[in-house]
Amino acid sequence: GLSSARAAEILARDGPNALTPPKATPEIVKFLRQMIGGFSILLWIGAGFSWISFGIQLSQGTDSAFDNLYLGVVLALVVILTGIFAYYQEAKSTNIMASFSKMIPQQALVLRDAEKKELPADQLVVGDIVEIKGGDRIPADIRLIFTQGCKVDNSSLTGESEPQSRSCDFTHENPLETRNIAFYSTTCVEGTATGIVINTGDRTIIGRIASLASGVGNEKTPIAIEIEHFVWLVAGVAISIGVLFFIISVSMRYKILDSIIFLIGIIVANVPEGLLATVTVSLSLTAKRMAKKNCLVKNLEAVETLGSTSIICSDKTGTLTQNRMTVAHLWFDNQIYSADTSEDQTTQPFDQSSPSWTALSKIVTLCNRAEFRPGQENLPIMKRVVVGDASETALLKFSEVILGDVMSIRAQNKKVAEIPFNSTNKFQLSIHETDDPHDKRFLLVMKGAPERILERCSTIMINGKEEPLDNEKAEAFQTAYMELGGMGERVLGFCHLYLPENEFPESFQFDTDSMNFPTSNLCFVGLLSMIDPPRSTVPDAVSKCRSAGIKVIMVTGDHPITAKAIAKSVGIISATSETVEDIAKRLNIPVEQVNRREATAAVVNGMELKDMSSEQLDAILREHAEIVFARTSPQQKLIIVEGCQRQGAVVAVTGDGVNDSPALKKADIGIAMGIAGSDAAKNAADMVLLDDNFASIVTGVEEGRLIFDNLKKTIAYTLTKNIAELCPFLIYIIASIPMPIGTITILFIDLGTDIIPSVALAYEKAESDIMNRRPRNKRKDRLVNHQLAVYSYLQIGIMQSVGAFVTYFTVYAEQGFLPSTLLGVRVNWENTNINDFEDSYGQQWTYYQRMYLQWTGYTAFFVSITIQQVADLIIRKTRRNSIFQQGLFRNKVIWVGIFSQIGIASILTYGLGHVTALNFTPLRFQYWFVAVPFAILIWVYDEIRKLLIRRYPGSWWDKNMYY
Amino acid sequence: SLAVKILLFYVIFYGCLAGIFIGTIQVMLLTVSEFEPKYQDRVAPPGLTQVPQVQKTEITFTASEPRTYEVYVRNLDNFLRDYSAEQQTENIVFQDCGDTPTEYKERGPYNDAQGQKKVCKFKREWLENCSGISDPTYGYKDGKPCILVKLNRIIGFKPQAINESLPPEVMAKYNPNLIPVHCVAKREEDADKIGTVEYYGMGGYPGFGLQYYPYYGKLLQPRYLQPLVAVQFTNLTYDVEVRVECRAYGQNIVYSDKDRFQGRFDIKFDIKS
Repeated sequence: GLSSARAAEILARDGPNALTPPKATPEIVKFLRQMIGGFSILLWIGAGFSWISFGIQLSQGTDSAFDNLYLGVVLALVVILTGIFAYYQEAKSTNIMASFSKMIPQQALVLRDAEKKELPADQLVVGDIVEIKGGDRIPADIRLIFTQGCKVDNSSLTGESEPQSRSCDFTHENPLETRNIAFYSTTCVEGTATGIVINTGDRTIIGRIASLASGVGNEKTPIAIEIEHFVWLVAGVAISIGVLFFIISVSMRYKILDSIIFLIGIIVANVPEGLLATVTVSLSLTAKRMAKKNCLVKNLEAVETLGSTSIICSDKTGTLTQNRMTVAHLWFDNQIYSADTSEDQTTQPFDQSSPSWTALSKIVTLCNRAEFRPGQENLPIMKRVVVGDASETALLKFSEVILGDVMSIRAQNKKVAEIPFNSTNKFQLSIHETDDPHDKRFLLVMKGAPERILERCSTIMINGKEEPLDNEKAEAFQTAYMELGGMGERVLGFCHLYLPENEFPESFQFDTDSMNFPTSNLCFVGLLSMIDPPRSTVPDAVSKCRSAGIKVIMVTGDHPITAKAIAKSVGIISATSETVEDIAKRLNIPVEQVNRREATAAVVNGMELKDMSSEQLDAILREHAEIVFARTSPQQKLIIVEGCQRQGAVVAVTGDGVNDSPALKKADIGIAMGIAGSDAAKNAADMVLLDDNFASIVTGVEEGRLIFDNLKKTIAYTLTKNIAELCPFLIYIIASIPMPIGTITILFIDLGTDIIPSVALAYEKAESDIMNRRPRNKRKDRLVNHQLAVYSYLQIGIMQSVGAFVTYFTVYAEQGFLPSTLLGVRVNWENTNINDFEDSYGQQWTYYQRMYLQWTGYTAFFVSITIQQVADLIIRKTRRNSIFQQGLFRNKVIWVGIFSQIGIASILTYGLGHVTALNFTPLRFQYWFVAVPFAILIWVYDEIRKLLIRRYPGSWWDKNMYY
Repeated sequence: SLAVKILLFYVIFYGCLAGIFIGTIQVMLLTVSEFEPKYQDRVAPPGLTQVPQVQKTEITFTASEPRTYEVYVRNLDNFLRDYSAEQQTENIVFQDCGDTPTEYKERGPYNDAQGQKKVCKFKREWLENCSGISDPTYGYKDGKPCILVKLNRIIGFKPQAINESLPPEVMAKYNPNLIPVHCVAKREEDADKIGTVEYYGMGGYPGFGLQYYPYYGKLLQPRYLQPLVAVQFTNLTYDVEVRVECRAYGQNIVYSDKDRFQGRFDIKFDIKS
């Protein structure tokens, strides 16, 4: 091996043997991005204007100059705090993932200084000699120089699910194909090997793929696009109203400085300061809920992406299937029997009365080298760990389920000789004593490839009796074999022979090398076929996807026949649909003559895909509803994903291998497998399925759709009161009435009373079965459409404003200023030198008394908005159904929201009513109720709206009023 | 036609809303009396203000240049027009309430069942040097400016006289039915700069007589004359800023740190020579 000194030298040159983690955005950049994203810019502008007017007023010596300084500081604080909050949320969800990549440091057995040493794998350098044994992860790309029965699992790299044997022979030009190279991050399944390290770290094959993945750009998530759209909309409204009223106020001969202050108020009123934080909280609540259902979301926005998914490209093995071979069918007595393939089988329901079954079961039990690991007696049979290959494991479990203790049966039928399976014989054979003490014959049992087994038989067992194997019976065998094979199952044949006692006495010495016993003219007993069966929850999940308008495409490295069989059994290809080949077979015409449009299903082979142009791929994706891609390489997955995206679909992709990572990244939502998935896949993915189960994706879709609906409600709720906050400014400017609401007060609504209720809407249950409608069209079905904006702004918002103004006028009237007196008073009202301002009754007010009344007005306006927001909250529970259909009390969190709203308002009014800077004053109790009739009006109006929408679907009303 | 439909919808919608708004405001106004406001907690206790009304509470002028005090004089003239004798001739409206402070004059309930209420006369002559009768510049041309002090009108408010523990100079001309007004230098170091201060009020009393209270409001006493006290600073130091604070003294007249015009006010004089 290398000397330590030399190794250190190379290590210094090449760097450690580890993959460079994907370049992370610096934390400070992430943080600053939160500070300027969304509405922050508008608020910064508002703060800037505040400080400018503070500066001007200060130089003019105005008393109230500091109000603007504080306002600016408050606005800046709002931006910074919401920024910190969003950053914290983001960081929290990233941390979940970080825990994934933390793994126990890998060790490698290296020859250094002519000594075997255990070293951390990242210390390996090119030229090191390493030893590997079964179960190890390959620590680097190595060229093998010594092997003994070595097999590696390359599935994470190439997608091949079968273990590959490795030797020291150079067999192929392509390093991926040659047998004498083992790759970094793959695992050695069995055997031992020694090799020389040829590549380390990022220069390994895996490293190169990983860097390819980081080259694939991350697409913007649909919800990010929606929120951006929404921010633009609101910012557009804010800026245009702001500029419009700036111009109006300047032309109404307001001072420029006053106009600027109005502009700040308009911006603050228009920007829903708390909304983005609310959206983040809602998304993270959903993410938490999804995590409970085994969907761990890495990127919060991916929560919704899953909901708008229109195509799922799913792996087969492990995701759709159980990832273990299981006996699915049996054939004996000329009849096919089905076995139970569910995950938790404890019995087998097929008819076991035939003596042929007894014989078959004996062969299955005895001609099997697999064994349970000891100490698992308390575990369910299907969960026990077995030493042996996949088919033998399946057979062992199968017989254990039916017959009980297999090991004791084997003990009673002592094995005297055995020939293990090898690829030339294609059979496995063993010779046993029988468990009948009076029967001194030996029993020879054999299993193997069905055609090879049949060749060796001259008789066949029917109902326990040996009958000669004539053509008719051979035909029946062929039919059964074809049928089972056609279902994509791996079929094994079983036969036996009782060796005559006279030729093979008890003392006979069997010699497996010279084969001093018969291996032909045996008695054929039956067939068993095995498959990696679908998970029992998958068919239901697939049909849910179908009714939810989501196309499920299977992409697998497996054989087309197996792929198609699984696709059919889980419903990806429905029972009635046919592929082009099926139609050709049914009509007995060549494939070319079939009208491709008649075929709803398609099974596309990886080899065909390789020669296809992207137009041809598009045509397939467009024309066929049910598609299976078989024998595909992981690289082709990327091509398929891109094809789907060209159709305008939102694509979810599942994957576990390192090679899947480019596709996972390219997909709108990449879903990595939590159990089988490689770290690279998990890193590239947006979501991790903790149980590797396809059905979990469907629950994720449901949650994603629900949150989209609920965010709509949250936004509608939040936008409504913006009008009630904005109208005061506009009317103040135009009618010159005393200011109805203060800027600080607005912030207390946006960031105080409204926050908990708007989060509470995230807990709302779905109005109807959201899994029965098509996925949203990302171009048409916007989060904030014009109906939502118009209904919130121009209808409910205006109603709220009217209610709040009634309260405002009531407060002023009852204190001495009748509405008619208020019009046009602004200049004198705000003149600090006028301390004998006359009201409607001839009473005279000092400036401070007027201001105190004005704050009482603010408080009344605030309370009115709060009260009407309660009604707004209740109506937003549904968009179409009546509140009574939805249930007023089903979502308890809404009530928490309502109580918090009123509680916070009470605290502000009565608790902080004496803090001058906040501009709240204690308010007479009855003013809380002035807006109640308007709140009821809002509720009634919205019920009427919903009723008409339900009554007249598709009508003018429906089109304009449904958001 | 779609646009027309939408337009029509909003015309109806906003029409209804406007109707509801006006309706509720009308209903609300029905609950409010036209003679007295429902609540007065925000307007009481009353503010104390001065005439002439000035920017930044500062009176600055040069005695030799009439142009510089013209605005103050005009302001005082305008204010005092209603106090002229010829304005107080109608006996249906005005009532002679005597020349000395007396008890409150209750005039029945706050409604128009008995028609309008009478109003106490206030003789402009009582203001003497500050009445503008003998000196139409109210002392400004001599550098001896007058200001008029008045208590803000509040319906039904009855200021209560204080009988004890007032500074002796305030008690100088005591009357149990008087709300005295007194002005002093705001800062102690200005005490010598303020010079002598003359007070002219009803019957020579430096304050407000209780017979002018309570006020019955604009509707019942449209020509109500609130009692005045004229304050003349006859010996102010020139060319420095002198801050003066005037207070009205009454049991229910209170002062507040937040509202600097409640029961008192301060004013700056800066007379240039």
